[in-house]
Order: sequence, then C-alpha cells, then structure tokens
Amino acid sequence: MNRPKKSRFNYGYYFVAPFVVGFLLFGLYPVYNTIALSFTDTTLMSAKSNFVGLANFKRLFADSVFMTAVKNTWLLWVLNFIPQLGIAMLLSVWFTSTRLKLKAVGVWRMLFYLPNLLMPAAIAALFFSLFSFYGPVNQFMVRAGFIPEAIDYLRNPTVARALVVFIQWWMWFGQTTIILMAGMTSISVQVYEAALVDGATSFQMFRYITLPLIKPVTIYILVTSLVGGMQMFDIPMLLTDGRGSPANSILTNNILMYMKFRSSKGHIGAAASVGVLVFIMTTICSLLIFYLLRDKDANLEEAED
Amino acid sequence: MKNYRVSTNIQRFFIYLFLTILLIIVILPIWLLIVNGTRSTVEIQNGISLIPSKYMVTNYKILLSKGLDLPRGFFNSFYISAMTTVVSVYFSLMTAYGLVVYKFRGRKLLYNGILVLVMIPMQLSIIGFYQYMSKLGLADSYWSLILPSIASAGAVFFGKQYLESVVLQDLIDAGRIDGASELGIFHRIMLPIAAPGAFTMGIFAFVGAWNNFFNAFILITSRQKYTLPMLIQTLRGDVYRPEYGAIYLGLAASVIPIIIIYFLFSRYIVNGISMGAVKE
Repeated sequence: MNRPKKSRFNYGYYFVAPFVVGFLLFGLYPVYNTIALSFTDTTLMSAKSNFVGLANFKRLFADSVFMTAVKNTWLLWVLNFIPQLGIAMLLSVWFTSTRLKLKAVGVWRMLFYLPNLLMPAAIAALFFSLFSFYGPVNQFMVRAGFIPEAIDYLRNPTVARALVVFIQWWMWFGQTTIILMAGMTSISVQVYEAALVDGATSFQMFRYITLPLIKPVTIYILVTSLVGGMQMFDIPMLLTDGRGSPANSILTNNILMYMKFRSSKGHIGAAASVGVLVFIMTTICSLLIFYLLRDKDANLEEAED
Repeated sequence: MKNYRVSTNIQRFFIYLFLTILLIIVILPIWLLIVNGTRSTVEIQNGISLIPSKYMVTNYKILLSKGLDLPRGFFNSFYISAMTTVVSVYFSLMTAYGLVVYKFRGRKLLYNGILVLVMIPMQLSIIGFYQYMSKLGLADSYWSLILPSIASAGAVFFGKQYLESVVLQDLIDAGRIDGASELGIFHRIMLPIAAPGAFTMGIFAFVGAWNNFFNAFILITSRQKYTLPMLIQTLRGDVYRPEYGAIYLGLAASVIPIIIIYFLFSRYIVNGISMGAVKE
C-alpha cells in the first residue's frame, strides 16, 4: 500500500456525503422530531405547545381504539402473508422444477406480478366500486342465483377484512414468487442431482435442500413484508370511509395516526405518539426476526471479509 | 418409465389449470376496470361485460365537468415522479460508488447502517417530518416529497450489488492516468457503464413515487397541487356517485401508464426484484 492510494480512499467521504446529509436531514431528524412531539400537546391550530410527559401514551393505552388498530394491523398482515408465502412457494417450486419443465414461466411470472405495480389508491377505489351495493359483484351473484338478493358487502366487518386481506395478497404474491425463484435458481443443480442419486423424493429435496438454502431470502421477504404491513394504509383507508369502517374492523395503525393528525383539533402530538409506538413495535419485531432466524455461520463469512 | 411420464403429464395439466385460475383472478379486476372505463353508466348498471364499449370520451367529459382536473393530476404526479427518479438514482449510485470503489474508514459501518434502514419503518416519522417541513415553509411543496429520496436506502443497496458486478478498476485507473477527477470518472466512465442498473433503479423509483399516496396525502393541501392518487381518492365522493363510467375511467387512467411501462420494461423490473433480494 503506497500513501497516495490510501489518501485517495478519502474521496469516498465526498461520494457518500450527500446520502449521509440527506439521511440526517430527512430521515433521522424527522424521527427525532416525531419522538419529541409525542411528549407534547402540539396542535396544528396553535403555535404554543407544552411538554406533557407520557400523557399521550397513557391516553393511547387507556383508549381501546389504539389496541384495536394494532390488533387489526397484525391480523390483516398475518392473514395475507401466510397464503402469500404459501402460494409463492408452490409457484416457485413449480416454475423452477427441472422435472416439470413448465412452458412460458417468464410470462406467467410477469403477469402475476402486475398488480404490485398498480396504484394502491386506484385498486382500493376499484374494489370499492366492484363490491358496492349496485356494483358488478352483486349483479353477477344475484343474476347467477348464488345469492337471493344484493348484499352490502362493505358494511360487513368480516367481508371488509377479507377484502383487505385478499387485495394485499393479490398485490404481493407475485413479487414474493419472483424473490423466492431467484433464491431457488441460485441453488446449484448438482445438489439436487446428488440427492436424486441417493433416492430422495421431491418432497424430501424440498424439505432438506430447498427450504434451508432459501432461508436468507425468506427472512428478507418476512421482514420487508412485516415492515410494509405494519404501515398498511392505502387499501383499508380507501376501501371504506377512511375511518376503518365497518365497526373499526379495518382500522389500521396508520389510519389511526392519520385520523388523529386530521382530527378537528389537529392534535399532532397524539398522532406522533401513535407513530412512535408502532415504530418501536415494528423495529423490535423486524430486528428480532432478522437476528433469531439468521444463519449462525453467516457471521463467520462477514468476519473474514 | 412410461408411467412416470404419464403421471408427470397429469400433474402438469393440473398445474396449468391452477395457473390459469390464478391468472383470471389477477387479470379480471384490472380488465373490468379498463373495460368499465369505456362503458356508459347505463351499460354498467345493466350488467357485466368483458368487451370494451365506446363511451370513453363521454366519460372523460363527465369527469372534467365534475371538476376533476385529471391532466393537472397527471402533470403533478409525473413531475414529482420524474424529479424523484433523477434525485434518487443519481445520489444512490453516487453513494454506492463511494462504497464500492473507496475503502475509507467507517464504510462497513455505513453499509450496515443502510441495511438496517431497510428494516425500519421510516414512514412512521411522517408527523415529525410534516411539522419540520411546515416550519421550513415546505409543507405544501413538492420539495418535501422529492428531497427525502436523496437518501434511499433500498436504492443504495441495489446500486451497490449492481456496481460490484460492473465496476472495473482498470477503467478507473486509466481515467486517473488521463487526468480525470474522481467525480469526473464517476460521471463520464461509471455512469454510462452502470446505465442498465440505473434504469432499473429508475423504474422502481418512478413507480414508487407515482403510486405514493400516504406522504402526499399528509403533506400536500392545495387542491391544484394534488397528485393523481389524491385526485383518485376524491372520486369516491358524492359528486361522482351516479357516474360509474367516469369513475372507472379516472381509475383506469391512473394505472394504464404503469401497465404500459411494465409491458415495455418487464425484464428490467423482474430482474431488479431478483437482484435486490438475493446475495444478501
């Protein structure tokens, strides 16, 4: 190592400086500011604000609506994540199978991914129209004789939840399939050939070769889906009245935060406290998943790098 | 052996059947949306059809007459998305380049920090961000939506994966011998080489900004600055209630540009998702 080369490495600081400054200004400071606001009674209407300690948090825990929102968000996420991962696992095993040799895998995969790119606001409004009282779903169901008379789907809590779960699944299983397939195709074919020679069945190969080797990819999917799921907003917000109706059944964390933000008093201190609690909950869960499930030998590889 | 092939064929048949059903579930709502955008309200009330009709222009006129300024929303969304794309791609590649080429102290710490950022729900600090922006007088401004993309952790992560596979130390050294500055090398030698990766990053940044509803919904308040998803959201209001055809057309118009982008560049998009996730 000669000296000029070493000092040239310091140019790296200039290259990463915009990111670091941007992160401090638009990433970290807002987080700090949100935490600071959550201890105050700041409103949108008045310039004055007072430090109120944990009052906002106490009120949240005393109010059953917050717990409802947290429960709803978890429920809606878990119920869409399980079939999302299940279907994606099935599809990616089929698509990468050298025995089945399915045709036009690229085309299937491309079409299944399409919903993920569409504007969630438009998708929610679309399903709102499709399932409205005079909408196409009722027309079809009544005319085909499946139901005697039209149903007001979006006034039924179970149906509303099921719809949110369905839309989330519909939007995300394609993406999960693509990621899982990338994980599976990176596994060497020789491993499977060796297993075949040893007389392993398809299921055994999946269970003892594929599953362990795609674990890092699965963790990535789990964590990013959780982080996104805890912030679920567009679909439940725009599917009904924007307040989590019917009967708070699809009221999520972010909808509650938005309602506090836009309430008549515009109490942004209270809105911030919702954000802070969900932030803490999500960060702990995602880091926990990451550290608990991550391979122990991955540490070794990093150490030698 | 023959039996084995027959059973594989039967299995294949059922898999194709399953895939076809799944495809119908995926495509049908989107197809209904587009078709209904071309049908009159009377037609829509009379029943379902999968064949487009001829009332698209009528529906569009109804939308305009109800005060929905779709072209304006398009322009606003396009402007924000294009700016966000440029800012995010440029600065993310710059950061990734710094991390890949220069072995400065603290680089590993920074990279690990960026990886952790991907796992943290930064959007939840929107309230603090909003109050901070209003203090700076940027609350109802597009800058508040564009500037945060300087620090896009996910894009840096992708950019680093990509640059690691295309950066050539020899080219950089040759540039130095020719007397190019470090930034000049990045601009004139690396950016052209990294163009396909930049393009992929750009598509994701664009689509993300185009579809973003939550941030704009909190930050933007003046009606003439409304983005497309914010306008879409007003379509559920009472003003439009009886005009089903017009509502569907408004919704269809907001998703069709993305569908076109996708059919043109699906290879980049699918490869981009694969690359972002594997090799962690």
